[in-house]
Amino acid sequence: MASEATTTTAAVPRRRSFALAATPRRRQMILVAFIVAAALFPILHNNDADIDAGANALAYATLALGLNIVVGFAGLLDLGYAAFFAIGAYTYGILSSFQLEPAWTPFWEPFAWLELVQRMPQPGGDVVHFTLSFWLALPLAASIAAFFGVLFGAPTLRLKGDYLAIVTLGFGEIVPIIARNWSSLTSGAMGLNGIAAPHLFGFNFGIDAEPYFYVALSMVVLLIFVSFRLRDSRIGRAWMAIREDEIAASAMGVDLARLKLLAFAIGAAFAGMTGTFYVAKLQTATPEMFGFPVSVMILVMVVLGGMGSVLGVVVGAILLQLLQSWFLEDLTTWLHALGRLVGSDLLQRVDLVESIELIFGIILVVMMLFRRQGLIPATRRPAALSFEQQHAEVRRGSAIGLKGFSGEKTDVPALEVRGVTVRFGGLVALRSIDLTVPAGGVVAVIGPNGSGKSTLFNVTTGLTRAEGGSIKLFGEEILGLPPHKVLARGAARTFQNIRLFPNLTVLDNVLVGQHARLRTQALGAVLRLPRTRAEERAAREWAMEVIGIFGNRLTPRALQQVSSLSYANRRRVEIARAIASRPRVLLLDEPTAGMNPAETIELAEQIKQLHTLGLTVVLIEHKLDVVTSLAQNVVVLDHGEKLAEGLPEEVRRNEAVLTAYLGRNAGAGSAALV
Amino acid sequence: MSTFDLLLQQTINGLSLGAMYALLALGFTLVYGILELINFSHFNVFMVGSFVALWTLQALGISGQSVILTGLPLVGVLLAAFAVTMVFSGLLGVAIERISLRPLRNVKGPAAMITTIGVSYILFNIILLTVGADSKNFPNPLPTARFQIGGAILELREILIWVVSLVLMLGLYLFVQKSRLGKAMRATAQDPEAARMMGVEVDRVIITAFFLGSALAGAGGLIFGLYYNFTSFIIGFTAGLRAFTAAVLGGIGNVPGAMIGGVLIGLIETMGGQFIATAWTDVIIFSILVLVLVFKPTGLFGTLTPTKS
Repeated sequence: MASEATTTTAAVPRRRSFALAATPRRRQMILVAFIVAAALFPILHNNDADIDAGANALAYATLALGLNIVVGFAGLLDLGYAAFFAIGAYTYGILSSFQLEPAWTPFWEPFAWLELVQRMPQPGGDVVHFTLSFWLALPLAASIAAFFGVLFGAPTLRLKGDYLAIVTLGFGEIVPIIARNWSSLTSGAMGLNGIAAPHLFGFNFGIDAEPYFYVALSMVVLLIFVSFRLRDSRIGRAWMAIREDEIAASAMGVDLARLKLLAFAIGAAFAGMTGTFYVAKLQTATPEMFGFPVSVMILVMVVLGGMGSVLGVVVGAILLQLLQSWFLEDLTTWLHALGRLVGSDLLQRVDLVESIELIFGIILVVMMLFRRQGLIPATRRPAALSFEQQHAEVRRGSAIGLKGFSGEKTDVPALEVRGVTVRFGGLVALRSIDLTVPAGGVVAVIGPNGSGKSTLFNVTTGLTRAEGGSIKLFGEEILGLPPHKVLARGAARTFQNIRLFPNLTVLDNVLVGQHARLRTQALGAVLRLPRTRAEERAAREWAMEVIGIFGNRLTPRALQQVSSLSYANRRRVEIARAIASRPRVLLLDEPTAGMNPAETIELAEQIKQLHTLGLTVVLIEHKLDVVTSLAQNVVVLDHGEKLAEGLPEEVRRNEAVLTAYLGRNAGAGSAALV
Repeated sequence: MSTFDLLLQQTINGLSLGAMYALLALGFTLVYGILELINFSHFNVFMVGSFVALWTLQALGISGQSVILTGLPLVGVLLAAFAVTMVFSGLLGVAIERISLRPLRNVKGPAAMITTIGVSYILFNIILLTVGADSKNFPNPLPTARFQIGGAILELREILIWVVSLVLMLGLYLFVQKSRLGKAMRATAQDPEAARMMGVEVDRVIITAFFLGSALAGAGGLIFGLYYNFTSFIIGFTAGLRAFTAAVLGGIGNVPGAMIGGVLIGLIETMGGQFIATAWTDVIIFSILVLVLVFKPTGLFGTLTPTKS
């Protein structure tokens, strides 16, 4: 019966969520319409200046797409993004102009053969002229920018997110300074000139705006595609998990440093590519083109369109660019006319073109205060459940039949804690704790608040450092490992005060739990080869199966954002997320807190079923009936020390335990707990 | 000048600049200590402060370099200029907090930081659009008394900068350490939630932090004008970045740390300018920022920031 319930309820979101390849039709139509309209624009509107403005707008759209990966997806504020734009620009600028002319030596022969350089006869001896093709420069500039992205992102990764903002701000300031001062390489403040225009099959792009427009349009389309592919993959989910809650992300197996650097590198690569395009189009590069105002402008585009919203940031970029190149001048003229009409001196003096940065500042503040999700929000709230669904009779799910857990019959303890001490300043949170959890067992950790229970979980899962001792998971040392590695080894946890990713759906939350079990990398996510597709499909099926443990409490809500769920359902999602990682040991921190008695019994049964499947469970719990019904062994902590250990019945009668819980006098009496 | 004299001269200059950075760094550190927010609007509160100082001096009849005062009038003018500038800047900081940051107090992610960038940009452009892009002469009513120390020259101006900065910083330090509100501030920096439960009015603490930090930035703006004899809409960015580095160097959230960090940055700037090249000053200071963050993120004297579980 239970498995029946699972399959019928799972059918609701299956249609939408399992069809991985099919992007929602509406989005596809909007995209196609945009591309067709943009492609026809230069043909229908044959005005070189306007086409040029359009090409610039599209170039900024690619920058906004890149910054969106960093700020929108991963939630890392990069204030020096223009630096990567500059690096890409100078890469092509230097390698396709007459800036560097080293003396000719045989060393250059192979490069000449590859047509990367030319031998130029000069009176003082032949020199090398760099002639890097624009098309080769695009990936090269992207790679170099990505390298610098990693280089400058790395120092800040151990720190809280805020420092990244200031370091990138500094970096964004330094790159133009270097460009200005290193004249032999960059021609300094004068700027690089004579940068070659791109060629394609013998056709020279020259200074005609049209071919540039089409290159920019192709780049935008490519990067929209890449952005969507990344967003809807293991990688994108991990980024968004980091954005929502770093600690929970790392506890669920996300390698924070690696994924942050990846976001930084990919964002930088987009900018590097655009930099090459931009100088090829202008055929000049000066340090002023890449200063702080440019970084802010791109940020404004992302904020206006909607952080994390791929189509939003494209719209934001195009709107702002067109605003600057088309509308502001007209608007200023109208305002002046209006000023003359009503006799307002102020209106006649307003110059909106000059005030563009003031407008940017206002946009930033107004959007943050009144519409943080931007013009086109990244997540649309799904339709609410129907009345019937909301009031449907609760059909309990079951963990029975959940495949993938084989009971581990081994004599090696699942978890073996030896002499672990944790100190916060002068406070000893755990003092030389010993604890053994047999494989396949259920152990409850109880104790008054502040007794060190959660600290025990934190130190086990790598969130807190211990001063000494050892923690072994099935015989392997895990003490000192970072949280994501502990999860990969097979210990998954929930948190006492629920740490979900609030703006992600139930399904995505549970999918993040599988991060460590999936292989898809950035390239695989973009190409989405059959292997990736199969992996993603299996991951989704597994996620729905795990969600199905809780019957129709969660399954119909799989596509809802978890922030819209009830408290008890959030606890269930968190447990599902931990189970999705296929743990060998499940650490539950007060799983029934905030649940009513009926819900508590239901959850206790589900935990029991998981245990029957062979999962080892460690449980922090205050409700002692739950403890008694589940645990084979109980460990009592008080003031960071182990007070007692034994069968539930024994512990209930232990004098020291009673004293700790109920006070000295109660302990002297015969009052038993529960 | 001998190398020793140069060293001495640049120490004198560095101390003056350092005093200015320290005043500015205190604003970063106070706000970061309590809200964990890098307040980018602080950059341009400093710049606006410098213009308010300019306008106050002009209103008092001090314009150009020709008006020299001595004795009581000089003291009165200086007191008035510092008082007006600091009160105005302080109120500006409070307004920024009240209007643009308080609604975002409990919003996670970079929203509040982005807002401060927006506010910074608004201040920057309001001054640019109203005052213009050319830099303005900043009057200096001090008599040109000079003292010769070896080969170096110590001007009255420098002494004034040192004394004023010392008084302000000492005042702030005593306020934070001794006063009731200062104690509330330190408590909030440690644990806002616990402080609130113990009856600390967190809003008042935050407003005080913004007022004091911004007022000190205003004083820094005045000192900038006295030191360089000009002011301009662009001065906030560079000075702000250096002062932030000073705050990180001293340990962000740490009040004495920000003071010492400021002086160190000032000395590094003048020495670097003398013995390396001014064009690379920002590169040097930025490298220090990155090195401190990598190797000693708590700064030289330890941080004091909220503990978040």
